[in-house]
Amino acid sequence: MTTTTLHPLATDYLDRLERAAHRLPRGDRRELLEEITAHLSEATHPGMSDAEMLTVLDRLGDPEDIVEAQRPDQPVARRGPGAVEWLTILLLLFGGFLVYVGWIAGAVMLWGSRAWGVREKLIGTLIVPGGLATALVSTLVLGTTQNCVSSFGGPERCTGGPSSVHAIITVAVFAFLVIGPLCSAVYLARRAR
Amino acid sequence: MVAIGDGVISQLRRGVLEFCVLALLRDDERYGFEIVRTLSEADGLVTTEGTVYPLLARLRKEGVVETTWRESSSGPPRRYYRLTPTGRSLLNAFAAEWVRFRDSVDTLLETGALT
Repeated sequence: MTTTTLHPLATDYLDRLERAAHRLPRGDRRELLEEITAHLSEATHPGMSDAEMLTVLDRLGDPEDIVEAQRPDQPVARRGPGAVEWLTILLLLFGGFLVYVGWIAGAVMLWGSRAWGVREKLIGTLIVPGGLATALVSTLVLGTTQNCVSSFGGPERCTGGPSSVHAIITVAVFAFLVIGPLCSAVYLARRAR
Repeated sequence: MVAIGDGVISQLRRGVLEFCVLALLRDDERYGFEIVRTLSEADGLVTTEGTVYPLLARLRKEGVVETTWRESSSGPPRRYYRLTPTGRSLLNAFAAEWVRFRDSVDTLLETGALT
């Protein structure tokens, strides 16, 4: 890479390009950065006004678009989920109902799979451990926190019963526990390759 | 006024652009910036200059062009592109096909029939 001094906006642009290009194979990334750096040092000089500089960068285009243009010839076979991937997704969703063993099997398959990256694996595992079964279990737990005490024929006094705040939190948690696993199942299905 | 789909024009551009690059290299080797600027000064050929570089990289991988580094009088060495024999025959084949294609489309657009 050259040591020519560049306009700060050009340096900033190259930083953005470098970040966008991290998913390219190393050789491609280096070549692309070399060429764009050369382009910038030909098209600009450090004393340029910001406005002139922005015109050059605008003609060059968005770093994301440039990286995207590099990608089609990469064999990024995004073939979607196959039978094994679907089984993994179903186990993560419903496996929890089989005394959690099914979910654990799903998680093991998820982490052993080459169809997903670390980010997808983390999302698939953490949202939500146990899958939909967790929603059921937590409903049972939250539903039985009401303690009622009756003292010698007097009226029943209940503590921990459903106050309105408690009810709202319960509904929110429940909604998350149901929607979360469904969303992460859809996410995994879409990201499988 | 009816807007034609942006997709159609950009697909057409994408399909033809690589042969424009090859045509630019027919008589001379050129460096990246020179290719990009020449293309972008032609009307309607290139919308974002930066996307030409990935195209150049692909052409090199396909063995249609090859590159050499040459010293430059005004800065760091430049990567020069030139046609390979494969690239030259690809260009010739395209040029012949393009004439037929262009003539048919022109005739249709002008007269509404293939006379």
